[in-house]
Amino acid sequence: MADKSGVSRRDLFQIASVPTLAAAAMAAHAEPPVTQTAAYQRKVFNDQEWRAVRVLCDLIVPADEHSGSATQAGVPEFIDDWLDFRKQEDGNDDLAAQVLGGLAWLDRESLRLFQKDFAGAAVSQQKQILDRIAWPSRAADEDKRWAAFFSKFRDLTLNGFYTSKIGISDLPYLGNMAVPEWKGCDPAVWAKIEERLKNGYKGLGGDVKPWQA
Amino acid sequence: MVAMAQVRATPKTYDVVVVGSGAGGGVAAHVLSLAGAKVCMLEAGGWYDGTKQSAMFKWPYNAPHRGAGTKEKPFGYFDATLLGGWQVPGEPYTNAGGSDWRWWRARMLGGRTNHYGRISLRMGPYDFKPYSRDGKGFDWPITYEDLAPYYDKAEELIGVFGTHEGLENTPDGKFLPAPAPRGYERLVKMACDKLKIPCIPSRLAILTRPIHGRPACHYCAQCGRACGVNANFNSPGVHIFPAMKTGNLDVRTDAMVRAVVTGPDGLARGVSYIDKKTRNEITVSAKIVVLAASCCETARILLNSKSSQFPNGVANSSGQVGRYLMDTVGADVGGYLPILEDLPPRNEDGVGGMHMYMPWWNYGEQKAGKMPFARGYHIEFGGGRGMPNPGDFGGSEEILGGGYGVELKRQLRRAYGAFVGFAGRGEMIPNADSYCDLDPDKVDQWGIPVLRFHFKWSQDEILQAKHMQDTFKEIITTAGGKYFTGGSAENNWGISRGGEIIHEVGAVRMGSDPQTSALNQYCQAWDCKNVFVTDAAPFVSNADKNPTLTISALGWRTSEYIAEQVKKRNLAA
Repeated sequence: MADKSGVSRRDLFQIASVPTLAAAAMAAHAEPPVTQTAAYQRKVFNDQEWRAVRVLCDLIVPADEHSGSATQAGVPEFIDDWLDFRKQEDGNDDLAAQVLGGLAWLDRESLRLFQKDFAGAAVSQQKQILDRIAWPSRAADEDKRWAAFFSKFRDLTLNGFYTSKIGISDLPYLGNMAVPEWKGCDPAVWAKIEERLKNGYKGLGGDVKPWQA
Repeated sequence: MVAMAQVRATPKTYDVVVVGSGAGGGVAAHVLSLAGAKVCMLEAGGWYDGTKQSAMFKWPYNAPHRGAGTKEKPFGYFDATLLGGWQVPGEPYTNAGGSDWRWWRARMLGGRTNHYGRISLRMGPYDFKPYSRDGKGFDWPITYEDLAPYYDKAEELIGVFGTHEGLENTPDGKFLPAPAPRGYERLVKMACDKLKIPCIPSRLAILTRPIHGRPACHYCAQCGRACGVNANFNSPGVHIFPAMKTGNLDVRTDAMVRAVVTGPDGLARGVSYIDKKTRNEITVSAKIVVLAASCCETARILLNSKSSQFPNGVANSSGQVGRYLMDTVGADVGGYLPILEDLPPRNEDGVGGMHMYMPWWNYGEQKAGKMPFARGYHIEFGGGRGMPNPGDFGGSEEILGGGYGVELKRQLRRAYGAFVGFAGRGEMIPNADSYCDLDPDKVDQWGIPVLRFHFKWSQDEILQAKHMQDTFKEIITTAGGKYFTGGSAENNWGISRGGEIIHEVGAVRMGSDPQTSALNQYCQAWDCKNVFVTDAAPFVSNADKNPTLTISALGWRTSEYIAEQVKKRNLAA
């Protein structure tokens, strides 16, 4: 550092050239484009379970006008791999047991009500079962353990989806890149926060009262 | 890098051998080799150069299990720590009954400086004299004024951003400009203003301007993966590689040091290490030995350096080696702030860490006896629209109530970016129940006796954790949010396990009395004058200011002292 401002002329030159450096850094460290790998070899789910998993994942994360579905994002494969991975890491298969047990119940319940397994039932019939277990606080006492299964399965589906390329663009997460100049909070974002501070805000996670200045 | 397998046949005597290549070993090797000394650095792990090996810009879907943490890579697949973690294969440690200490080791060139949080806080004047202030713990043999010039030097070399605030016991430094805060950070500051908690720009060792030929940060937030362009502080890129250019520094990797070797005159002759590749034991001859193997590993080497002259190990005539081991107090609370929902999507990455933090603010109340615990903590917080990781989307029903389908996707798009997590990092007071010694039975795969840990928090730390929990809940509630915590009276307010914050310090403490300390005020062994320590082992207390910057400053001061003593011929070289 050369002068009182802590920035020398050489530094200024370097600041001016940061976009080039950043671009070079990105080029040097960028991952080659992901190519579709060979067919995934399942480690946990059998064919029957696999049908149910694919249907259930897409009921939780269907395609919409923003992005594709869970199966398009490779979520069933992620879940199968994750259950095997936790077994190795945790030294027990509690998570796999909960998921497999929940899938068995879905088929059992669907057969009882509709005489078809879960994957073979109509979408409206599938949703009829999910509506009993997808909101834990509303679930009937006899459905509580299946609601707990569904919450776990939803966690797995969302974690798989939002760490995929499709899910990351859906949020969207806009980082993981070299930025030539950091400007702090975007004025449009701050204006919106200030507006809410003044007028209050009705949020998904609760209402925010206007703040005293 | 510099292989010297023939060392036995043609023994070369170095001026200095430095054990360890992290913040403490790096600064010693840097200062001493630039001063003209012939230096040999020994690192127990492998070679590492972040500019070639960083996982910068990779995506979760580029990694097995989307980059999730494993036993081998606890901080995730892309973390810079190539070999290391809570367990190192073939290198165990033990806990005495009732203790639950965790010991993180990074076996690689640069050690933990490759992945750490880069938080760079100076200890303040009170922090060097804590006993004088409240009657607990011990005073350091030096003052803030003794170390201040070395904080200056360390900051100017490694590059630290921050702002001048003039706050009590929170010294300002030689700062690069601080990056502007993110949206959620500005909002949290407003909540803190209401509560009269100071919230100021953080102080991190990340370049916001180019210095010393290193470019400025490009704001990808991935410092923990090591920086591909050397824009953050890491010992290889900042200390070691520039020192190697002098021609005075040889670096040997996979060199697991067992003991300090001493001669009949009671002085060190060098160190003995196991070459992990050949399993041969090799002795490096040196006129001066600098230990910076990390706090506990340095204590282990000294305890294992037994001879007829040093029956309890080198530097241990007082029996102090291993004593008064400390970590940082940690507790955390998560928050969901609805006011941050559904904001216009923007890149909120910034630097690899927080742009704002809260230094301790209750010095006056503590001095007046109005607080139920003795020492302070600072608050770290993070949130915003960060890179998604597996685990981030668990428990959505806690906020949304549940659901599935297109409506759930819509809600998650709104909720993403509204989570903010708070973590306290507080001072632990040294106590007689927290120490390490040699396990009487166990050895590692290199035949070196391993450490056994003994650890206890006191009520000061537990009540501090409670205060953290209460404060974080208050900040979240003030910002109109909902908090999530597992902390309660039953689990001591969620206080971290000893060692878990990876701020272990002490165990070879400095002092002004050879009866009650292992090292003098220059971190020189009282009983073996050519042995020095430059990691965090000499620390007498563990202020809430993260240890790395103080390791750098104290190591610099010790290294300058070594160079002066050689010049004055008080030490051979």
